[in-house]
Amino acid sequence: MSDLSRRDFLKGLAVGGTVGYFAMAGVSSTVMKNTFIPPAKVGTEDIGECKSVSVKVISETSWFNNPLLLEDIKKAGGLLVNQYEIPWTNTGVEEGWKGDNAGGYATLIEVEQLDGSKRKFLLDTGWNVDWTDECFKREGLDKMLANGEIEFLIISHEHFDHYWGIESTLKHRPDIPIIVPKGFYPEGFELLKGAEFPKCHLSNKVPHTGPLEVRESGKVHKIMPGVASITFDVPIITRVFGEEVLVFNVKDKGIGIVTGCCHMGIISLMEHVKSTLKGGDKIYAVQGGLHISPFEDWDPQYDDLVLALHHYGIERLGCNHCTGYITAEKMVAANLPVIKGTAQFKSKRDIYLGNGDSMTF
Amino acid sequence: MNHKDYLWLETRDLQPRMKQPIQGFINFLLVTALFLIVWWICMDPRGILRWYTPQYGYMYIRWILIASIWQAYIFNFWPFSYKFMETRHPLIKGIILITVNLGIVGFMVWIFYYSIIGRLSIPYLSAPVLTELGMSSFFAREYSSLAILMMAAIASWLSPIWPVCFENHPWHGMKQPARGFTVWAWTFLLTTYIFLCLMHPHYHVLFYPWQEFAAAFPWWYKFAHTLSGNFNVGWVMCGTISIWLLELTFERYPFCLIKKQPLRGIAGFFGVLVFALVMFATFNLLQDISWGVAVEGAKRLYAPDWRYLHSGELACMILVPAMVLNFYFDNWPKKYAPSINIAIRCLIILVTTGILHYLYYKFSPPILGTQPGYSHPQQFPMAPVILWINIMLYHNWFMDLYPGKKLASREEYLLNPSIVAEKV
Repeated sequence: MSDLSRRDFLKGLAVGGTVGYFAMAGVSSTVMKNTFIPPAKVGTEDIGECKSVSVKVISETSWFNNPLLLEDIKKAGGLLVNQYEIPWTNTGVEEGWKGDNAGGYATLIEVEQLDGSKRKFLLDTGWNVDWTDECFKREGLDKMLANGEIEFLIISHEHFDHYWGIESTLKHRPDIPIIVPKGFYPEGFELLKGAEFPKCHLSNKVPHTGPLEVRESGKVHKIMPGVASITFDVPIITRVFGEEVLVFNVKDKGIGIVTGCCHMGIISLMEHVKSTLKGGDKIYAVQGGLHISPFEDWDPQYDDLVLALHHYGIERLGCNHCTGYITAEKMVAANLPVIKGTAQFKSKRDIYLGNGDSMTF
Repeated sequence: MNHKDYLWLETRDLQPRMKQPIQGFINFLLVTALFLIVWWICMDPRGILRWYTPQYGYMYIRWILIASIWQAYIFNFWPFSYKFMETRHPLIKGIILITVNLGIVGFMVWIFYYSIIGRLSIPYLSAPVLTELGMSSFFAREYSSLAILMMAAIASWLSPIWPVCFENHPWHGMKQPARGFTVWAWTFLLTTYIFLCLMHPHYHVLFYPWQEFAAAFPWWYKFAHTLSGNFNVGWVMCGTISIWLLELTFERYPFCLIKKQPLRGIAGFFGVLVFALVMFATFNLLQDISWGVAVEGAKRLYAPDWRYLHSGELACMILVPAMVLNFYFDNWPKKYAPSINIAIRCLIILVTTGILHYLYYKFSPPILGTQPGYSHPQQFPMAPVILWINIMLYHNWFMDLYPGKKLASREEYLLNPSIVAEKV
């Protein structure tokens, strides 16, 4: 190896430094980005219009003791373990429902069409059948299901707290049309047919006899005038995949979004709506779980979200469930329009919409 | 300098037991099979121990890497003698050195961080302390694991710089273990300092309410558009990979042309840094082209912090083919001028990295028990990739690439200083 003179070294340093600088400046430059990155799309998909939407929280308390749920997950091997293999604690929980830590998530949606007619459907069906039965009875859903007033059930995603209480719906109407997002695992379909999963204390004694539709991702699925669902290919903790959300185009107000858990992220979702739906640049209201701090955990990324939400001009924010209390406190502190609840029927705080509360937009 | 002052890895003479490429493929497949078995036992969410929770297992994987670097590069296998290294059967030697390696990892995690630093200084470096403070045991372990693994991530960038770029200057004349402890203390001090600047502000925001009296506000927020320390994870990983590319693929070229220290070390350090930043910016741009521009506050594919993290993950994937080419295929080619050799190797590495990236996301769900999709808040492709790298390092550094290669008799070889000097 030859020795290097000072002059050669300085020349090398100058060349290397210059090349490095321009390489770095080049790949991160606006010119480069404008050349290669396609411009943002403007939404053109027309889903029609509806007059108003009323959202009733049947249950947003998916579990009653957060540390206990996390302990179950930890013992099973963490957040990536299959939910059907986790022995969830179902006895001896003081603040639970009859000793069971499981609660569930379910929302009743009523859409008023432009002609004044009203149509109802259910988003998600809870976890603990006994708790969900109680909630359904409290809000009269048992009768609405039995007399066909509730047209169909849409499952946001396969998570235990949104889907495993399927028996509560089927016992009142076994033939209800069900819509699920792409990504359901075989266990999910087996449960619908009446399977039992003893390890996770799960069963369904009423097999489904009605139509089942699996909604593909990447499309806007129109449900009725002014109402559509969108499915996202999104990997979720405890080996769940795919989530669908509901979007509404409310006349003279703008877009309303209702979510189960919003695992794709509310900002990602709003950006998608903006680039897909006609009128998607005006998001008027958001309701449902926003999956930010469901376990009252935190990550700096969540602060990014709270800080950025201001840019979207949401006028009504009816968050709850997996949004988390920490997030709600931060949102309130950031002057975001969080709608307060009444903290009844085992919802712990009134900082956001709780069990039995409703929101109209 | 006595021959025992050179790195064992640089002076050992490994002879093939069979012809290439058979030898390379057999060794590589063996190591890959071993990686999959270890992953299944320790990490796989469907497996036995299920440590990939994810941060807990990932922390151990990171620390195995840095402990290996300390053993081989900083301490030159001290306290084991050259006689031990030369005469023991590779499997026996491997088992002993791996046991020491795991002992170091256990000591650092359970004693140094959990029981000393976490208890006496910074609580988030100890899972038991966070639990005692009232945090759920699950997140106490996840948060502390992230902090401890980040220490290892920064160390895996800074520790090799001293032996590789500075050739342990100005302590190159010292004997082991004095040299090892000196370089270790210096690089560990740097690691701690850099950690405090890059990751401690992440913990300013991580806890509620913000810890504004205990840690600085994330200084990168204005230009990185995220409060998350993943911004730093991304470029630090590019730095780690750059230093190993310099060592493995570039064989320290062109910095080895500079004879004088510390000039060579300084040029190497900044060269690596510039290379890392170019790599980081390039991967960020490639992601913007593939998925569109990241959006502040978004999650998953569109989250700025995930994009930065993924740049680090992509960099990490580069190291696998670079290592395989070096360890198992004799760093082919070697017959041309250094710049040509390097250019051909880089081309091979880039193409195989692309293939690896495709195969990883296609087959990791059934093979590793992960979930499909690129962006998952609880999945870190760096974990399996670094475990794979760790097994390759064990195989090469601790087991002399057995059974594909064997250690040649070193008696005559080491007695001739000119051969040693030429090789290093």
